[in-house]
This record gives sequence, structure tokens and C-alpha cells, in this order.
Amino acid sequence: MTVIWTQNGIVENDPWTSQATEAGAPKLLPLAEALDHAQDNAPFGVVLQPADDVRALAPILERVAIVALTFPAFSDGRGFSQAMLLRERLGYKGELRAIGTVLLDQVPLMLRTGFDSFEVHHAPTIERLVERRLPGIDLHYQPSADRTDTTTGYSWRRTAILNG
Amino acid sequence: MKTTRMKTKVLTANRLTDGISVWLGANGEWTTSLRDAFLARHEDAVAAIEAAGQQALADNRVVDVNVIEIEETESGPRPYRLRERIRADGPTIDYTPAAAARVSQAA
Amino acid sequence: MYRYDEFDHAFVEARVNQFSDQVARRLSGEISEDAFKPLRLMNGVYLQLHAYMLRVAIPYGTLNGRQMRKLAHIARTYDRGYGHFTTRQNIQYNWPALSDMPAILKELAEVEMHAIQTSGNCIRNVTADHFAGAAADEVADPRPYAEILRQWSSVHPEFSFLPRKFKIAVTGSERDRAAIQVHDIGLQLKKDEQGRLGFAVWIGGGQGRTPILAKKIRDFLPEADLLSYTTAIMRVYNLHGRRDNKYKARIKILVHETGVEQLSAEIEAEWAHLKDGELKLPDADIAAINAYFAPPALGPRAEGWGELAAWKKSDPGFAEWVGRNVAPHRHPDYAMVTISLKPIGGIPGDASADQMDAVARLAEEFGHDEIRITHEQNLVLPHVALADLEPLYRALLTDGLATANAGLITDIIACPGLDYCALANARSIPVAQEISNRFGDPKRQAEIGELKIKISGCINACGHHHVGHIGILGVEKKGAELYQISLGGSGDENASIGQITGRGFEPGEITDAIETIVDTYLANRTGAEESFIECYRRIGADPFKAALYSSEAEAA
Repeated sequence: MTVIWTQNGIVENDPWTSQATEAGAPKLLPLAEALDHAQDNAPFGVVLQPADDVRALAPILERVAIVALTFPAFSDGRGFSQAMLLRERLGYKGELRAIGTVLLDQVPLMLRTGFDSFEVHHAPTIERLVERRLPGIDLHYQPSADRTDTTTGYSWRRTAILNG
Repeated sequence: MKTTRMKTKVLTANRLTDGISVWLGANGEWTTSLRDAFLARHEDAVAAIEAAGQQALADNRVVDVNVIEIEETESGPRPYRLRERIRADGPTIDYTPAAAARVSQAA
Repeated sequence: MYRYDEFDHAFVEARVNQFSDQVARRLSGEISEDAFKPLRLMNGVYLQLHAYMLRVAIPYGTLNGRQMRKLAHIARTYDRGYGHFTTRQNIQYNWPALSDMPAILKELAEVEMHAIQTSGNCIRNVTADHFAGAAADEVADPRPYAEILRQWSSVHPEFSFLPRKFKIAVTGSERDRAAIQVHDIGLQLKKDEQGRLGFAVWIGGGQGRTPILAKKIRDFLPEADLLSYTTAIMRVYNLHGRRDNKYKARIKILVHETGVEQLSAEIEAEWAHLKDGELKLPDADIAAINAYFAPPALGPRAEGWGELAAWKKSDPGFAEWVGRNVAPHRHPDYAMVTISLKPIGGIPGDASADQMDAVARLAEEFGHDEIRITHEQNLVLPHVALADLEPLYRALLTDGLATANAGLITDIIACPGLDYCALANARSIPVAQEISNRFGDPKRQAEIGELKIKISGCINACGHHHVGHIGILGVEKKGAELYQISLGGSGDENASIGQITGRGFEPGEITDAIETIVDTYLANRTGAEESFIECYRRIGADPFKAALYSSEAEAA
């Protein structure tokens, strides 16, 4: 089973998942194709691999409907830095999806680095997400790409804005 | 048919709850003593303990499951590898605090 | 020292609950071992040969009596009555049950301790000079900066799944007691021409399979930029560090393969975007953290001078101990005391629960309630009045903690080795014990002088053998233990990587080989004032190799 989860719950009929490949459906394109495709008018998304330089998207980012970052294994954390660069450096405001190996315990960290949708396969993980029982910590020792309260003492500390 | 005798094998793992070293016994239960391990002396027996190990891993009873080679001696099974002998017999040093106290008084 | 505020308490409580939930999911079978392993490692839980192992963080090696007493209590209640202090200034328990981990972590949280990031591919416990805040030669106390780094790196969302583990060390003086050149990031506190505080920044040092000394990439980084600059380094490493081979995944390989000029240019380019952002440290915050580390009020105790001289005269054992284990404090009436965890023939770094309790009590009575763990696996009481040295010594003596061998040949660093460790190829502890017994005679040790022997039971080099004056590496060859010797390593400000002498030695030969090396040194030194490492650097490896392998050369 594969579902797309966001803070609002399970997404029904997600247009970007591979099942929805009927003609005319929008596409998730690899980086090189996306750069070529940017001239077209059809909506498109980009799927990046961990070794891709997200900064290459800068010229076309306005036109991208979704960026999906790939986690080929839970241990490959490049996507966290790619997400930070997209949000903080390039100012990307659109949907940012984690695909590949997405573990329950990584979801809170992904939310902090700017991801807002998740492709999940593991049944117990889906259950916990649906129940909104995320194993995160609401107190943070560092700023990140999420919206947080900055008024909690030392300059590097943050607290989660619940339901933010 | 090949006549070279295969080395006897036993199945070992660590218990999930406390990590203590265990060996698969003849009765199918995990035992904390290598002496009570089931000795697999032919290929079918090895296949059986391997399957039992995979099942116990899948059932989350044990972790780090391995088939190891042992020598059958009069005092019981003896692993060929030092690592496995230490797993079976415990650290080779007097590590308890009482032993440490003895050392310091001797010094 | 640092004290938790409400935020810290709430954070650690939340982290305990988070890990307890992870353990519960594992025990219920909801997650597999493959999925659980990175989670347990991130909280310092390993599976070793005989049991689980828990590594508890002792940030920059500083703790108080109450915390030490809790470590003793945990050893007694959940383990087998002892613990092992490590080269990263932490403590390891060798026998705790997974099902007890939540309870242990709750107990630790009561005394402001945890096991966060003591393993895993994340930023590990930040280490610092064990004499911080007391040493006379210090530019500034490194611990406030280590504490800021500790906080900032805790459950860092971007840097929890790095290519490999990441170690940061901070030293406060030119004399490097934190081995910064063998760390992923080494920071040396210094002042610029205007007297502003900052850091020389080194990156890419490390031991393991490929030992490399760090390269300096910045001569002066203002203190306010500590977190932004570290973030820049981490981000470049996280994106570009190799992930195809775990033995090539540390930042040292990235530095080596990219070239230090290009890599530091990439770091500087990344930093340019970050430096004036929200990670810039306000002076008030730096001052607030520094205030926690204000030295204790050390009143005048000038009476100690006369008493000390008299005690030394009447008790040669005490005089010996003062000469070896006591170092000058910045306050002339005080001293820094090393409590050796290297009894002759003992297990390096091990302490019993009773000994931990004793040290806690003595720190409270004589040491302004401060204890340090050194990366050489000893303990330190950093603020002891000279007038209290004699009663302290008497008390240490009764607890088996007065071995007078700091810095000598029996002050051996050793990893747990194959007696405990699932990664080890050979035993370390029995080798350390045999060498310690061989050279245990105080006169002989004193004659040999400063000599650092460091022993690792596998190529991961937890025993720091690459930077031992004499390094010993245990390997497995044809199913048996074999020990390679390297000479000339050093982990201080004149850091160097030891060179392998030649073929390895069997367990029954290794102590004789060490003796041959020591005898060669004694025969070649210009005098007692020339230490082993100085002599080695002057005469090179050849005389030692000739002595070690001469019989083979003759036979050939």
C-alpha cells in the first residue's frame, strides 16, 4: 500500500503518484527533463535524486508545481539539506514531497526541513500518521525551515507552533 | 558422493529483550548455554536451524542470527572462532568490581 | 557548570518518551531490527557480543557528584556493578537490557543527563580539554562553546542522517589536550589582534582505517559565527560526503578527494549565505552560557604550600603521586588532580560503582563538586586546594584510585576489544593488562618517563592507536589474534600518525616486543630529559625496527 500523507491527512487521488498516468495527467520529471520542459505550458513537477543540485532549479522554480526529493535509503540524508536549500535559499513555496524510504521517525525531521507531503508504504507508519501520533519533539535547539516560535530564550532555540 | 565431513554447526543469536547470547537448543528453545545447543551435523539439519533462525528473527524473539562452526570436544561444543568462544564463555578478563579491587590491592 | 533550564528538562523528557516509544515498537514487533538499529544507535544503544551496550553522554567530560552517583546507581541497578569510561569522555555500560533502557534514561534525565547522539551517523558528543576552566595556559574556557554546539546539534533535523559519524572537539589553549587534529572539526579558541575571541577551525581529521590529520581552513572565526560556520561545513559534507563506501564516508575523505582549498571555498560560499542569518550568536547569549561555567570561588589556601612540602617529605608514595598525577592550577594555592583508572594490571577506563560513589563524595568534599572524564580514560578533579591533597590521596588509596601513573607507560588507552565488542577482531584489554604488569614497577615507569601506549582491537581505532607514541592494533589473521605495532603517533598540538613497524606479533610476543622498543629507546635517548616521542623523532624508526626484527634478518 502506498499513500500520500500531509498534515491534513491522507490525500485522495493525488495527481502526482505513478498510478495516475493517464494521458494529460501532470508529470514528475527528472531534473534534466524539467529544465527542458520549462518552456511548455503544461503543469509539471520535478523529482530529484540525492546527487542533484537543487540550485539548478532556480530559474524555473516559479513554474514548478511540486518538487519530490528521493530518499533511496533511510540512511541517505541528503534530501534534508536539499529541502533546506529549496526552502531557505531558493524561497520555494510549493509542495515539497519526500518519496522513497520514509520512516515514521524521520517525518518530524522532514517537516522541520520544509517537507509538507510524504509518500509512505509501511502500514504501521501509515496508521500512526493517520492517527496523527507523530513521534516528534516540540522543542528545538536550532532554527530550521518550519514555522516556529522564536521567543524561547537563547537565539538558537525554537518551539513548535502547534497546528501551525 | 563427497566424503569430506562437514564441520558441525550451531545456531546462535542474541535475545531481543536483553541482548544476551543464546543458542538454539535441541528442543527448539533458545538456551543461554552453548553446551545445550543443537548440533547440526548434516546439510538438512543446517537448513533446518537456518530456517528456525529466520523465523525467530521474523518473530522478533532474537537478533543477529548466525550459523557458526564448532568442534565437538569431550567438554562440549567449541567454536572455531575466538569471537564465538568469547560469546559462549564471556569476557576473558576478570571484569567484576571484586576482581578490580583485588588488582588494586596487589598494586 | 551548565545546569538545565526548563526548556532542557522538557526536551530531554520528550526525548526519553520518544525513545521509549521506539523501544516499545521494537519489543512489540511493530518495527524490524533493520528499522530500529539507526534509532537505537542515535540513542547510544549498541548490540555487542554478550548483551546490549548503552553509551551515556558526558558532555565535554564534565559532571558533578550527584551525576556521578547516578552513574554508580545505574551500574549497580541495571548492570553488573561497573562502567567503562571512554576516549570520547563518555561512559559505557556493558550489560543493560533493552527493556530497561526507558527506565535508565528516566533516571539519567533526573540528573540532567542523556544518551542522545552517542552513536549513529550524526553529530556526536562534543569533547573538550579536560582541564578546561582550571588550566593556567587557557585563552578561554572551551566548554561554553562545546555546550552551545551540543544544544544546537541535538536532534538536528538536517544533520541526523549524515554519511558517517561526526566528531567535534574544542580546545582552549595552544597546548592541545583535546586531540583536535584527529577530529572531523577541531576548534581552537584564540584571540585576534583586537583581543576578540574566536576559533582557528580545522576539518577532516580522523583515525579509523585511513588516519588523516586535520587541515586548518580558517585562522580566525569570530565566536559569534560558530553555529553558522559549523552549519556551512555540515551542509557541504551532508550533500557531498561519500555514501557509497562506509570506509570513505568521513569528512576526511571528502577533504582529501576534493582538496582542502576547493572544499573550504565551497564552505565559505555556503557560509556567505548563512553568516548574517538567525544562527549568528548574540553577545548576550554567549555571555549567558559562559556564566554557567564561571569558576568556583576559590578562596586563598596558602597554608597548603608548607603542608605539602612536609607531607611529601614524610611519605614517598604521596610525593610520587603528587609528582605524577597533580598539575598546577591557575590559582597558585590549588591543583588539578588526575585520578588514574589504570591500576597496574587493571582494565583501562573501568570503574566500579563503589569507586564512582567514592569519586562523587571526594569531588564534593575536596573538589568544588566538579569531575572531569579525560579522553585518556582517567578522571580529573580540576579544583583541589594543595592543603587538601593529602586527605584526598589517603581516601583515593583506600578505594584503589591512587595509582601514580598519569602519562606513564602503564597509563594505557584501550578499547573494549574482542572481550565485548561486536566489531573487534582481537582483544585489547588482556594486552593492556600484560603490558601494565610488565612495567608496573614504579621505579621502572619513572625511568621510562612519558610514553603513551594506545591499543585498538580493530581498524576502527577507538583505542586511538594511530596517535599513540606506541600504537597497537589487533587484527585477525588465519583465525588468530595478531598485533601490529606503530610508532611515533601523537594526538597533541604536534600531532602525527604512527608508522607501522613491520609484521605483527602474536599474543605471546607482543609484550616482549613492547619491551624491546622501550629498551631501544632507553639505549638511544640523550638523557632522561629526552622523552620517547622526542627520541623517536630524532632517530627515526630504523633502530626500533632493527631491534624488533633483527633475529629474522640474521636468519634470512
